[in-house]
Amino acid sequence: MLTSLMPWLLAVAILLAVVGALRRARLWLRGRASNVNVWAGIRAMPKRYLVDLHHVVERDRYISNTHVATAGGFVLASVLAILLHGFAWESKLLAWLLLAASGAMLIGAVRVAKRRQSPPDRLSKGAWMRLPKSLMVFAISFLILSLPAVGLLPEGFGGVVLAALLTAGIVWGLAEMFIGMTWGGPMKHAFAGALHLAFHRRSERFGGGRSTGLKALNFDDAQAPLGVEKPTDFTWNQLLGFDACVQCGRCEAVCPAFAAGQPLNPKKLIQDMVVGLAGGSDASYSGSPYPGKPLGEHKGGPFQAIVAREGKGLLDADTLWACTTCRACVEECPMMIEHVDAIVDMRRHLTLERGQTPNKGAEVLENLIATDNPGGFNPGSRMNWAADLNLPILADVKRTDVLLWLGDGAFDMRNQRTLRAFIKVLRSAGVQFAVLGNEERDSGDVARRLGDEATFQHLAKLNIHTLQQYSFRSIVTCDPHSFHVLKNEYPELGGEYVVYHHTTFMERLYRDKQLSLKDWVGGRVTYHDPCYLGRYNGEYDAPRQLLDALGIDRVEMTRSGFRSRCCGGGGGAPITDIPGKQRIPDMRMDDIKASGANVVAVGCPQCTAMLEGVVEPRPQVLDIAELVAQSLIEEETRA
Amino acid sequence: MSRNLARLHSSDEVSVTVLVSIGKHPVTGRLRRADQDARALEMALGLSDSEPRVIYAGPLNDSTEPALRGYLGMGVSELKVLRQSEQNDIVPALSGFLDNSPSSLILCGSRAELGESSGLVPYQLADALGYTLVSNVAVIEEVTATLAVVLQALPRGQRRRIEVVLPAILAVDTASPVARQVAYAKASRGFINCVVTDAAEDDATEQWHYQPARKRPKRLKIIKATSARDRFKAAAAKAEGTGGQVLTSVSAEEGAVAILKVLKEEGVLKT
Amino acid sequence: MNDIKRRDPRSEWILRNRLHPEHSTYALTHATGIMSEWIGPTGVKRKNPHLVGFIGPSGLRRIDRSGLQSSQQTSVKVQVDIDSRRFIQINAPSDYIVVVPELPGGRFSAQDKDLFGLAQQLASKHSETTAVLGVILSPLKDTALGEIGMDRVYFADASEFSDYDPEAHLQQLTAIEREFNPLYWLFPEQTSISADLGRRLSVKLKVRATSNVWQLDLDTLIATCRASGGTSDLYRPVSRVILALAECAEPVSDTRHEAKPIDQAINAVDVIKRIRNLGAVSVDPAKVALSEAEFILSGGKGIANWDAFHELARRLGATEGASRVAVDDGHMPRDRQVGATGTWVTARVYLAIGISGAIQHLQGIQACDKVIAINTDPGCDMIKRADLAVIVDSSELIQSMLDQLQQRQEEVQNVA
Ligand SMILES: Cc1cc2nc3c(=O)[nH]c(=O)nc-3n(C[C@H](O)[C@H](O)[C@H](O)COP(=O)(O)OP(=O)(O)OC[C@H]3O[C@@H](n4cnc5c(N)ncnc54)[C@H](O)[C@@H]3O)c2cc1C
Ligand code: SF4
Ligand code: SF4
Repeated sequence: MLTSLMPWLLAVAILLAVVGALRRARLWLRGRASNVNVWAGIRAMPKRYLVDLHHVVERDRYISNTHVATAGGFVLASVLAILLHGFAWESKLLAWLLLAASGAMLIGAVRVAKRRQSPPDRLSKGAWMRLPKSLMVFAISFLILSLPAVGLLPEGFGGVVLAALLTAGIVWGLAEMFIGMTWGGPMKHAFAGALHLAFHRRSERFGGGRSTGLKALNFDDAQAPLGVEKPTDFTWNQLLGFDACVQCGRCEAVCPAFAAGQPLNPKKLIQDMVVGLAGGSDASYSGSPYPGKPLGEHKGGPFQAIVAREGKGLLDADTLWACTTCRACVEECPMMIEHVDAIVDMRRHLTLERGQTPNKGAEVLENLIATDNPGGFNPGSRMNWAADLNLPILADVKRTDVLLWLGDGAFDMRNQRTLRAFIKVLRSAGVQFAVLGNEERDSGDVARRLGDEATFQHLAKLNIHTLQQYSFRSIVTCDPHSFHVLKNEYPELGGEYVVYHHTTFMERLYRDKQLSLKDWVGGRVTYHDPCYLGRYNGEYDAPRQLLDALGIDRVEMTRSGFRSRCCGGGGGAPITDIPGKQRIPDMRMDDIKASGANVVAVGCPQCTAMLEGVVEPRPQVLDIAELVAQSLIEEETRA
Repeated sequence: MSRNLARLHSSDEVSVTVLVSIGKHPVTGRLRRADQDARALEMALGLSDSEPRVIYAGPLNDSTEPALRGYLGMGVSELKVLRQSEQNDIVPALSGFLDNSPSSLILCGSRAELGESSGLVPYQLADALGYTLVSNVAVIEEVTATLAVVLQALPRGQRRRIEVVLPAILAVDTASPVARQVAYAKASRGFINCVVTDAAEDDATEQWHYQPARKRPKRLKIIKATSARDRFKAAAAKAEGTGGQVLTSVSAEEGAVAILKVLKEEGVLKT
Repeated sequence: MNDIKRRDPRSEWILRNRLHPEHSTYALTHATGIMSEWIGPTGVKRKNPHLVGFIGPSGLRRIDRSGLQSSQQTSVKVQVDIDSRRFIQINAPSDYIVVVPELPGGRFSAQDKDLFGLAQQLASKHSETTAVLGVILSPLKDTALGEIGMDRVYFADASEFSDYDPEAHLQQLTAIEREFNPLYWLFPEQTSISADLGRRLSVKLKVRATSNVWQLDLDTLIATCRASGGTSDLYRPVSRVILALAECAEPVSDTRHEAKPIDQAINAVDVIKRIRNLGAVSVDPAKVALSEAEFILSGGKGIANWDAFHELARRLGATEGASRVAVDDGHMPRDRQVGATGTWVTARVYLAIGISGAIQHLQGIQACDKVIAINTDPGCDMIKRADLAVIVDSSELIQSMLDQLQQRQEEVQNVA
C-alpha cells in the first residue's frame, strides 16, 4: 500500500514545493534590480556553501557537525527516496545508502534536539522548536522504510499499523522538509540560503575575500526615490538574503547595541524584513525582541513604509539609528547576510528623503556641508594645532612619499597628542611625508553612515579632486574610519590609493629596521581592535606585533580580534545617541578591566574618545603611536 | 516650551506666507538657508497641514539657488521668487506682490544674514501693507480668522503673551524652535518659480562700504576716579580679581560666601 | 534738587504710601525727612536701604555704593566726597538728541548708559546748547538721571500703558518728534522693547534707521555697523534714527547733567490698538531652555543629594543643567544635558558642581563667560576651566549656600 502511495506523496510534495518556490521567488523579485552574474553565481554556489559558509558555521563546532550530519543526510536521503520510492528503482545498494543517510540525519536531528532542550536566548523558539521533531520523524520514517528493502526486516513487517504510522510520518516529514522549505517554514533557510549564496550582492566575500565598503547611491535620476522606504525598495537579492536567515541569533549575541539595551537586535531586524516581504505583524516572531519594544505592536507589508510616518510600522527609526555599523553581526552570520547594508539603506531614506536624522545628526550634517568637518570648526584652522611642527604642506611641496591624512581629529585636543606622537615616529624613521593642511576635508565617513550619501559623495569628490593635484606613493592615517573610506569607498567614485593605517605602517617601518625601539614599561596592556581596522579591513596582526616589539606584557580580552566588541563610536551612533540601559563603552571598559590590563592600547581617535569618556577610575587609554613614540631610541644625528 | 504649537482653527480662512532670504554661515560664509527664516518656515509648517506660501525676493543665480533649495528641503513643494538684483530694494517688490495676493499671516526672520541686516524689512512691509507687526516671536499659540496669540521671547528665556489682530507680520526670534533638517531629495525636487515684479533701485546704499567684520576691541575698564576713595577702590579691585582663582582648604561656608559674592557681582543673584 | 513745578497728586500720594511699589523711587527724588533708619519694635536698629545716601555738592542726592554703609557698624554717617565732575546745565536748548532707554527691570542697563554717552558726544559735537533728552516710558527705579547724561527727561505717564505697548509708545515718540524735532533718535539695539520702537519710529518717520551701530565717527558721522548677520562691517553715513549696540561709546563719567523734567504737555494721539499685551508668562527659571539660560546650575556625578541641588537651583533662580553621567544615572532628564551631545549653552554664568570637565562637557560651555566649579578633586579639568573654583564636598557646599541664602532672605524680610 505504502509503496504505491509513495510516488504520489513525493510528487505532491515536490509539486507543492515548486509552487511555493515560485511564489516566494515572486516576492523577492518585487525588489529593485541588482547586478549579479546569475550563472556564475549558480556555478559557484556549492563551493560557497561548502567552503565559505562552513568556515563561519565551524566557529560553533557542535552545530557545524550537527549540520553536516543533518543537512548531508537529508539531501542524500531525499535524492535516494525520490529514486527508490518515486521512480521505484530497485537497488539494494541504494537502499543501504538511504538507510545510512537517514541514519546520519537521525543522529543530526537528535543533536539538534539536544541543543534545543534548553536553548540559549539567542535562538528563536516557536516553529524552530518543532524542527528537530520533524527532522527525526523524517529520518526515522525513511530509516524504517529502508529496513525491509535491505532485508533487515521482513516485507510487510508491522502490518497495517506500522504502514499507517509510516505514512503519517512521511507526510509530516515531507510537509516540513519539502513544502515548508518554500512555504515559509524553518526549512526555508535551505532553499533561500542556497540561492542567496549564489546571488549574493558581495560575491567578493567568497573565497576569503573582503567587501565592506558601502555601495554608492546613484543620483542621476532626480525623481528616483533615494534609499529604502519599503521592503520592495531593497534589491531582489537583498530580500532573498533576508529570507535565508536561520534565526540562529549569532548576530544578536555579538551586537553591542543589543547588549547595551538599545532598541536593536540584528536578528529581529532581518526577521522584520522577512515579515515585511510577505506582509504581516511580528506577533509570531519567537526570538528576543528589540529591547524595550514588546512584540505584536509592529506590522508592515511589501509596499508599506518600513518606518511609518505616523504610528507604528515594521520597526521604529531608533532601531536603525542605534547601530554602530560595527559589522560584528555580519562577521558572525553563517548565512552571510548583510545587516549593515540594509540598515544604511533604510537610514538613507530617513535622511535624504525625510530629513529625519535624530538628535545631533542634523547639526553634524549641516556642519559637514558648511565647514567640511562635523564639529563646525573653521576649516582654515585645521592646522592650528601643528603650528610648531613645521609640517610640510602638499600645496607647497607638490610631491611626497607619504601623505599623512590627519582626519578631523586635528580639531580635537586629545587626538592631537596621538598625531604628534605619530609625527615623532615618522620623523624618527626618516619618512618623507607631507600633509594636505587646510585643503583636507572630512572623509565623509560619518555623513555616509548617517545616510547622507549626497554629502558623502560631495566631500569624497572634493577630496579626490584635491588629491589629484599632487603626487604621493601612499596615504597613511591614524584614523581607521578615514582609512576605510579612502581605501574601500573612494575607488567607486574614482579615487584609487594605496592606504595604510598607522599601525600597519609603523609595523613595516619596524620590520624594515627603520625604528629603534626600547622596551615600553608601564604595566599590562590589552589591545582593543577598532571595528573599521579589524572587521572592515582584516588588520589584526600589525598592532599586536608592534606591542610585542615594545616588549609589552600583552593580554587579550575574551572578545578580541574579529570578535572584538565595538567601542560604540562608529556609524554616527554617538551623534544619534539612542538611549539604552547602559553605554557601549562602559561594557567595553569592563572587558578591558576583566583582562587585568592597566593600559588599553587603541588605534582610533573614536575609540580613544569613547573609552576616555568612561568615568574614572579606569585603565589608561593610549594610542599605539603614543606607546611607540614613548619607546623611541632617539638618535642625535636624526633631527 | 511645553505648549505645543497651535493648529489653525480653520486653515482655509487663514493663509500663511513665509518670507525667506539667503543665509550665510558665520564661520565659512558659505551661503545656505537663513536660520531665522527657516525657523519662521518651521513655525508655519507646524500651523496647518496645507502648505504655506514661501516667497523670496532677491538675486537668483547658481550660488543662491542651492541655499534657497534648503527651504524646499524642509518639505514645501514650491518657492516663489521675486527676482531682484543685488542692488535692488526688495521691499517694493514684496509689498507690491503681497498687496496683490494678500495673506493674513506673514512670517519672516527678524534679521537677514546678508547685506545690511537691518531688521527693518518686516517693519517696512508692515507699514506699506498696513499690517500689524510683532517682533521677537518665539511661539504661535493660537490662530483664528481674525486673531493670533503669540509668545514673544524676552531675555533669560522669559516669555510675554501677545494677542495680535490679523492681518499681521510676525518676525521670528532665534528662541523659536529650531528648523527641521533639510532633506536632500525634497530640496532637489522642489520647484522654484519666478514671478515677474518691478524692481526698484536702492540708491540710499551708494555711499555704503562693506568690509569683513573687525573684531570689536574689548572695552578696557578705564576707571575715571572722581574722588580719592574711588581711586583707592579701583586700585584695590584690581588686586583681588577672581580670574582662575582656586580656593583650596576652605570651609564650605567660606566657599559659599565666595561663590555667592561672584554671583552677586555678575548680577545673576536677585536677593 | 528738582523743583516740583506743578502739583503732582500722584507722586504726592506715592510719597505718602510707603507700600506703593514706586515709593522708594519717588522718595529719593522728592523726599526730605523720611526716616532711613529707626529702632524697630524689638529694639533692633532698622534701615531702609533705599533711603540712605546724601546730598552731593551739586544738590543731587547721591548714594554711596561702596558697600561700606551696608555693613553693620557704619550707618548713615557717610563722609562727603568732593565731586570733581563738571556740572552742565543747559537753560534753553536749541536742539535735542533723544535717547529711549530699554530700562530692563526699571533700571538703566549698561547699554542704556553707553547710549547716553554717545548722545552726549553727539550733542557736544553739535553745539553747546544741544540737550540730551531721555524718554522714560516705563516705571523707573534708578535715580541717577543726570549722572548718566540726561539734560532733559520726559516721563511718559506709565500708568496709561503696559510695559509692552508699542502702538501707544510710538504715539508718544511721534508726539515728541512733532514737539522737539530732534537731531537724532537713539535706541539701544537688540533689545526687546526699545529696538522694536526704534524700527517702528524709523518707518513712521520714513527715515532709514542706522542699525547695529557699534562705532560712530563724530567727525565724519560715518557709523560702523555690524552687518551680514555679524560677519561684516558696514560703513555708512549715520541717519536720524540710530540703533546702537552695547559699548558703542563710553558712558558719561566726568560730567553731570541737569536731568530737568520736560514740563510742556506732550499730546499723543490715541490709536486703535491691534496689539494686546496679555502679560508675562511665568517660565520657571529652572525649566528655561538651556540654550537661552543666562545662569546655569549644573550637576554631575559628584552630587550626592539631588533634592538639595534642585532646592539650590530654585533659590538661586538658576536654570538646571547636568553632565551626561547625571542624565544616564537618571537624576536629570535628557534635555538638561550640557555638552557635545547635549546642549551647547551660552549662559553668562555657569556653576558646575561635581562635574569633572570631560572634553565633551567642556565643549558645551565654550561660550560661557564665568565658570564656577565645585569639586573635591583639584586636578580635574573643570577646575582648570573655571574662573573660580572651590575644592570642597558638594553636599556641604550646597547646604552652606542654602543656609546663607536663607539668612539673606530673612534679613531682607526684616528690613521690609
Ligand atoms: C561621544 C561622547 C559624547 C559625550 N557627550 C557628553 C555630553 O554631551 N555631556 C557630558 O556631560 N558628557 C558627555 N560625555 C561623557 C563625558 O566623557 C564624561 O563621562 C562625563 O561628562 C562625566 O560626567 P561627570 O563629570 O558628571 O562624572 P565624573 O567624570 O565621574 O566626575 C565626577 C566629578 O565629581 C567630583 N566629585 C565626586 N564626589 C564629589 C563630592 N562629594 N563633592 C564634589 N565633587 C565630587 C569628582 O572629583 C569628579 O571630578 C560624552 C562622552 C562621549 C564618549
Ligand atoms: S553592525 Fe554592530 S551594532 Fe549594528 S546591528 Fe550589527 S552588531 Fe549590532
Ligand atoms: S541574521 Fe544571520 S546571524 Fe542573525 S540570526 Fe539570521 S542567520 Fe543568524
